[in-house]
Amino acid sequence: MTPRYDAIVVGGGHNGLVAAAYLARAGRRTLVLERRHVLGGAAVTEEIFPGFKFTVFSYVVSLLRPEIIRDLELPRHGLQILPLESTVTPLDNGDYLAGWADPDETRRELCRHSPRDADAAVVFGRLMHHMAMAVKPILGMVPPDPTSLSPGDLAGLLKLGGHFRSLGPERFHALHKLMTMSSADYLDEWFEFGPLKATKSASGIIGTFLGPRSPGTAYVLLHHYMGELDGAFRAWGFQKGGTGGISESIAGAARAHGVTIRTSAAVERVLVRNGQATGVVLEGGEEIPAKIVVSGLDPRLTFTRLVEPKDLPDSLVEAVRRFKFRGSSGKVNLALAGLPNFTCIPGEGPHLRGAVSISPSVEYLERAYDDAKYGEFSRHPYMDIVIPSMIDPSMAPPGKHVMSVFVQYAPYNLNGGWTDAKREAFGDTVVDTIARYAPNLKSLILHRQVLTPLDMERITGLSEGNIFQGELALQQLFFLRPAPRWAKYRTPIRGYWQCGAGTHPGGGIMGASGRLAAMEILRSTP
Amino acid sequence: MSAPGNGGARGAAFDAVVIGAGANGLVAAARLAKVGLRVLLLERAESLGGQGAVIEFAPGFRAAPLGQDPGWVPPAVVRGLGLESLAADPADAPLSVAIGPGSFLTLSRDAERAAEAIRVHSVSDAAKWPAFTSQVHRLAGFLGELYRTPAPDVGLTSLGDVPALLGLGLKYRALGGEGMIEFLRTLPLSVWELLDDWFESAPLKAAVATGGIQDYRQGPRSGGTGFVLLHHLVGAPVGSMRGRLPWRGGPSAFTEALEQVARRAGVTIRTGAAVARVTVRDDAAEGVILANGEEIATRAVLSTADPTRTLLEWVDPVWLDPEFMHAVGNIRYRGCTAVVMFALDAIPEFPGLASQEALAGLVSLTPSVVALEKAADAAKYGDVSENPHVEITVPTLRSPALADGGRHVLVARVHYAPYRLRDGAAWDPARRDALADRVTEAIEAVSPGFGARVLHRVAMSPQDLEERYGLREGAPTQGELGLDQILFMRPVAGWGRHATPIAGLYLGGVGTHPGPGILGGAGWLAANRLLGDRRGGKGRA
Repeated sequence: MTPRYDAIVVGGGHNGLVAAAYLARAGRRTLVLERRHVLGGAAVTEEIFPGFKFTVFSYVVSLLRPEIIRDLELPRHGLQILPLESTVTPLDNGDYLAGWADPDETRRELCRHSPRDADAAVVFGRLMHHMAMAVKPILGMVPPDPTSLSPGDLAGLLKLGGHFRSLGPERFHALHKLMTMSSADYLDEWFEFGPLKATKSASGIIGTFLGPRSPGTAYVLLHHYMGELDGAFRAWGFQKGGTGGISESIAGAARAHGVTIRTSAAVERVLVRNGQATGVVLEGGEEIPAKIVVSGLDPRLTFTRLVEPKDLPDSLVEAVRRFKFRGSSGKVNLALAGLPNFTCIPGEGPHLRGAVSISPSVEYLERAYDDAKYGEFSRHPYMDIVIPSMIDPSMAPPGKHVMSVFVQYAPYNLNGGWTDAKREAFGDTVVDTIARYAPNLKSLILHRQVLTPLDMERITGLSEGNIFQGELALQQLFFLRPAPRWAKYRTPIRGYWQCGAGTHPGGGIMGASGRLAAMEILRSTP
Repeated sequence: MSAPGNGGARGAAFDAVVIGAGANGLVAAARLAKVGLRVLLLERAESLGGQGAVIEFAPGFRAAPLGQDPGWVPPAVVRGLGLESLAADPADAPLSVAIGPGSFLTLSRDAERAAEAIRVHSVSDAAKWPAFTSQVHRLAGFLGELYRTPAPDVGLTSLGDVPALLGLGLKYRALGGEGMIEFLRTLPLSVWELLDDWFESAPLKAAVATGGIQDYRQGPRSGGTGFVLLHHLVGAPVGSMRGRLPWRGGPSAFTEALEQVARRAGVTIRTGAAVARVTVRDDAAEGVILANGEEIATRAVLSTADPTRTLLEWVDPVWLDPEFMHAVGNIRYRGCTAVVMFALDAIPEFPGLASQEALAGLVSLTPSVVALEKAADAAKYGDVSENPHVEITVPTLRSPALADGGRHVLVARVHYAPYRLRDGAAWDPARRDALADRVTEAIEAVSPGFGARVLHRVAMSPQDLEERYGLREGAPTQGELGLDQILFMRPVAGWGRHATPIAGLYLGGVGTHPGPGILGGAGWLAANRLLGDRRGGKGRA
């Protein structure tokens, strides 16, 4: 008898939902199983405190692939990205550095601090734009295996080689520098104003366990520009109703194509019979057969929890063991009675509709890293702060607000381990640090949710609380993500596939992994 | 010898002037003279040898503080210059690490012996050791292949390179699937992660990690330190974790042999001749001007000085476009190594250290990778490490001639001592002595009574190294070994093949591909480039 489903997708995160939608769109009978009561994985909106909706983990979007938005007609299913107006960095001297929606305004602002940097920023922006162009095709391609001599792989490698040649030496070299340098060194070649370099390099450290002076942090700078490149909207945007709205819109599209979605359905393990996946067993014993199983979970869970390592080659098990997660970021969500008053720009203003970046200097970020390196959370952490209720009032009761604070560094392996006391101490550090720039903050706080990497792991399942399902380090990218030879969404188990951010290209709310996995599945399974 | 008088800008007195008589300068000069070019070799110092030069730091006590690792001579250089007779000393040169007073781990080059020593700390590490050493040496071996040829480059690769590239491709494939992946994976990796993948024993990791931070202003946790480890193992005997075989004739053997070859080939060598300018006309080099004002006409200039000095200080900026000068100005040097040389009345006692053989090798006094990382933290902010990473060796055990009267020399290399100090502070004598005191204490801690044996002590900060050796920012690398400053990116993107925008001006120093530790590698490739251009009728040839 043929099973009721052609495909079961384990995990209702955005990649899993994208994969499911594409499979169903091609006529495959698809079931999505989500362990939690809410869809979205790390892209969820939850009403943690009555009346206050939080984008609990991931909080902004810029990289969602435009082809996915088109193919799945996501706007029809509720995708609505509101622009984040600005980025403001409070300085220790009471001044601030701002980047506004209007490039001319930004230029004038930059001139205020350094005319030289204002000029450099124009050229820099253009170069980043070209670099993003250069990387874009790679994001959209299935990584070829450089060790294989199969026609497909050789063709892929030639295509890749051709692509790099087509860039011409100058851009190829620029890309090489971007891929290998530290963000601090890279920006030193362009800019002189410390807070500008710090704020830009901050994007290079997000989600990694590296400091801005560690080689390999520069290329993440690109992410800011890739969004801009594709977007009908600006680099960073905010989904109406919170990030969960993106997941909901993808789920809506999936359902429209006939996908069945079950929440509160935790998969115990994947059924494997002589090297072939035959379905899944839920916690509680329910067995669901299917022709193929697609895991949207991270590589560690995909290869060591859902299946038996004994069903896998040792080299893969070893590679997964070596795969670095090292969650390094925390999240603090605040319910506020009113708006914070930043001393550098007093009162209400457009800056509250954008991001506030606590990154006064590269040294500040580097020292924050030093704390974490030795197993402590940063005493003076880097923070990326947004007030979603300023962009979408429906996020909080009238007159009240929600504040989302992304914090780095908070090591998963804290000395002595995370305790409730340490979690609160971490929360206090965050609030105290923000209060240095917005003294009225403490008096506004109605509720506070503090999430350590350990909490993220407990809630979302993300191993070690790494928001990218594995560090975006050079040695964990492209055909090495998640493991050599198994970067093409396949696994050694027939009919068992991977589609999470732990595969190429991974990271951010991009959906590319889910889409590429679905394409690969459709290409190779009748 | 002295040079013939200035022939004026017209009738060039020399076909080529080579600047700098270190390994690369000597090799380049000899290479050019051997094919009949009239070559003048200019050396700023009074003696030859550059970084490898032996200096008398105290009466009757000599050392080559930067020449601890003799380096690797590419086969083409050995064959091309007939250096086969130059013998290396096959004696074991182990790498040891101090675990604590009275306790060391010594890694012999012999994998079995090393594994034995490791077994005390971890049985599983001991079991993995032979596989680890052969793995890293296999990867370093492939790097060595890349270092024998001009750097392949997306922009510059021409039809002529295809055979070389195919050769590389085949050698690459010869690494095998695992090897290919491991090579690509290891370059950006941190040596910390690399070692965590393999081992559990803290002292073992601490010992090997020292290879990943040599002359690099990064800690073992930083990306790219995996590459640095491999780079310094290129040409090293299998099993060795630090450095290549020393010359049987002592540290100066290589320089002396090369000097003979060069002179025999007819190279005119002038020491104490510091270059002040490279003169250019119509976008082509036409001569050099010495510090004393003397002008020397030539058809080509091959500089082994660092790229920044050569291009931004010696050449009139009107001949270079701003973008290129910007790129050269951005080369990171970041000297962070200091040396302290001790003159000893007798060989010091190191309780718990296997044998004197270990002292003839390298002994690291830093017991853990965390300690290495902490030492690196200070340098990030322009401070000298509170507890610096110190590695010592006693060269007189292998070359007694370095000290008169059977006495001994101990050389300590110290990380991290950044050239640029916070707020532009200077490396004044007080600061230098403070560092030397810390080093003495560190040695005393594992060698009780060491201080009493010291007759003289000479410390050199990166600024001293810059003055003595002409190394910019005191960096023996002449451009730190970041992944963005190697191969076709060395010295700057797109100029990895020893030519410059100025016809007839070539770069052949350590700051160019293939970089430090590859004796004569850059000089040889640069000389080949110069000769190739002459044949091709480019420049002034």
